[in-house]
Amino acid sequence: MNRVSTLPDFSRLEVAMDQWSAPFWQAGGEHRLVMPRCTACATFRWPPGPFCPTCRAKAVAWVPPGAARIHSFTILAQPGADKDAPPQWRMPTLVEFADAPGVRLVSVLIDAPCDAVAIGDPVEIVWQPAANALVPVFRLRG
Amino acid sequence: MAKAAAAITGIGSTPIWFRGESAPRTMPELIGEAVMAAVADAGLALDEVDGLAFFAFGFDTALLIETLGLRAVTFAHCVSSFGSGLAGMLDLAAMGIESGRARNIVCIGGTQQIGRRLGQAIGSFAATPDNIFHRIAGLGGPGQALALQVRRHMHRFGTRREAFGEVVIASRAHAATRARAFRRTPLAMDEYLASPMLADPLCRLDFCLETDGALAFVVQSAERARDARQSPVYILGGAQVGTADWGRAFFGFQQDEDAFASAGGGPVARRLYERCGLGPADIDVALIYDHFSPLVVMALEDFGFCARGEGGPFVESGAIRLGGAIPVNPHGGHLSDAYVVGMTHIHEAVEQLRGVAVNQVAGARTALVTGGPAPTPMTAAILGNQP
Ligand SMILES: [Zn+2]
Repeated sequence: MNRVSTLPDFSRLEVAMDQWSAPFWQAGGEHRLVMPRCTACATFRWPPGPFCPTCRAKAVAWVPPGAARIHSFTILAQPGADKDAPPQWRMPTLVEFADAPGVRLVSVLIDAPCDAVAIGDPVEIVWQPAANALVPVFRLRG
Repeated sequence: MAKAAAAITGIGSTPIWFRGESAPRTMPELIGEAVMAAVADAGLALDEVDGLAFFAFGFDTALLIETLGLRAVTFAHCVSSFGSGLAGMLDLAAMGIESGRARNIVCIGGTQQIGRRLGQAIGSFAATPDNIFHRIAGLGGPGQALALQVRRHMHRFGTRREAFGEVVIASRAHAATRARAFRRTPLAMDEYLASPMLADPLCRLDFCLETDGALAFVVQSAERARDARQSPVYILGGAQVGTADWGRAFFGFQQDEDAFASAGGGPVARRLYERCGLGPADIDVALIYDHFSPLVVMALEDFGFCARGEGGPFVESGAIRLGGAIPVNPHGGHLSDAYVVGMTHIHEAVEQLRGVAVNQVAGARTALVTGGPAPTPMTAAILGNQP
C-alpha cells in the first residue's frame, strides 16, 4: 500500500487561547515556534500555565526549542470526501525537541509515506492557516 | 498487615445492554435497580442505606436520594477521577465506614452511551487552550491517544502485536463460558492480526465493548460483615495517587520515558502494596482495567507481575490464562464481557473471592482491582476473603 498522510483542512478551526498560550500563537503568526522556559530555573513548561512545575515561579521567556524528532505517532483512516473516495490517512504525531527537555508537542504529520515513518525521524514545523491563527504541523525533514 | 476495617457484603447489577439499547430506561432507573439488587444481596433494607460512594464524576446525588427515597444519607462522596477512580471508590467507602460517618455505604457506577460515546469523548469536548493541540492532531478519543503510548512500548521493548492479540484471545476464552458476555466466539491469532487498524498499532479488536448498565456494591464494617448473608469480601487496602508526571495522562503526554510507555500505575501500585503489606506474589487473580488490550500488558508491569518491558513475553507465555501465573479478568473483562467503567471487574473480584465465579480461580483468596489508565488520581485496591 502506498499510503501518504494528508494535510487536514483547518480553515474552520477556531484556536482557543488564553493569556498563558497567547505568546505561542503570536510567534506562530510569524512562522516561529517558541516554548516557555522558566526564567528562574530554566525548566520548560508545557502546556503553558501560571507556575513552573519545578520551582513554582511565574515568569517565562519564550525561546526556540530546537530540532524536533518523532517520539511516537499513530495512523488513522478517515473517510474520503464521498463514499466511493479512498480513505484519507491522518497521522497524529508527538515530537520532542533537542533544546527543550521534557516538552512534547502533539500535532499532525503531513505529506509522509505512512508505512516508512519511524520513531526518531527528524521533522520540521510548518504553519498552516486556521480560522484565527496559524497552527503548527509537522513534515519529515528531507 | 493491618486488619481490614470494611468489607463488600452485597453486589447487584442490572442486565447489560449493547450501547444505546438500554433506552428508554433512564440512568436513575438503572442505578436504582442495581442498588436494590445489591442491598437485597446484603440482606439489608433500602432504608438502612446511609452512604453513597462514586467515581467517574459521580451522579446527581440529590436526584438519586430522591429517586430511591433514602431517608438519612450521612456520607455522599466521589473520587475525583474518571475510570482511573474505579478502585478508589472502594477505598472511599472504607474510609466512610472506618471514620464512622456511615454504616451501610453503597458504591455505584454505570454507563449509558446514548448520543455520546466515551470512545469519542476528546473530540466532543469544547475547544480549550490545552486540548486545541489534540484537535489539530486529530486525536478524537482515548484509543487514538493511547496508541501513541502503545507504539512507544513496542519501540522501546520490542513488544509484539501478538501480545495484545493474546490479551484479546484470552479474554474471549474466558468469556466463552459466560452467558452474559457480549463477545464469546473464540478468536484465533490470525483473525486478530487481520483485524483492521483503527489507530495503528491498535486494531478494532484492541478496543473494548460499548455497553450500558449499572452496578452497585454494599460496603459495611468488617465486624458487621461477619454476620452478613453472603461471605464477606474484605477491602484489604486501597490507594489513590496523583502525580504531576502522569498528570492528565493522554491529555498531556508529558510523562517521563518509563511512565509514558506504561499504564500509569507504577506509583499507585507501590503505595497499594505498602499500605497492604502485600506484593504481586500475594495476588491470586487480577482484575485489570482493559478498555484497550495493550493496557493489560503495561499494567502487569506497573503492578510488578513482571519487569518493565517484559509484559509482552509474559503475556505471550500464557501467564494471564486460568491456571497461569496470574489469571487476568476471568470474566472476559471490558474486551469480551461488558464495559461498565470497570464496575464488572469489581463484581467479578467479589464472585471470585466468594468462590462462585463462572471461571473460578481455584482457591482464590486475594484479588487486585485497578482503575483505568486515565487522568490522576490513579487508584487500585486489594480485596480478600480473610480479614
Ligand atoms: Zn522554575
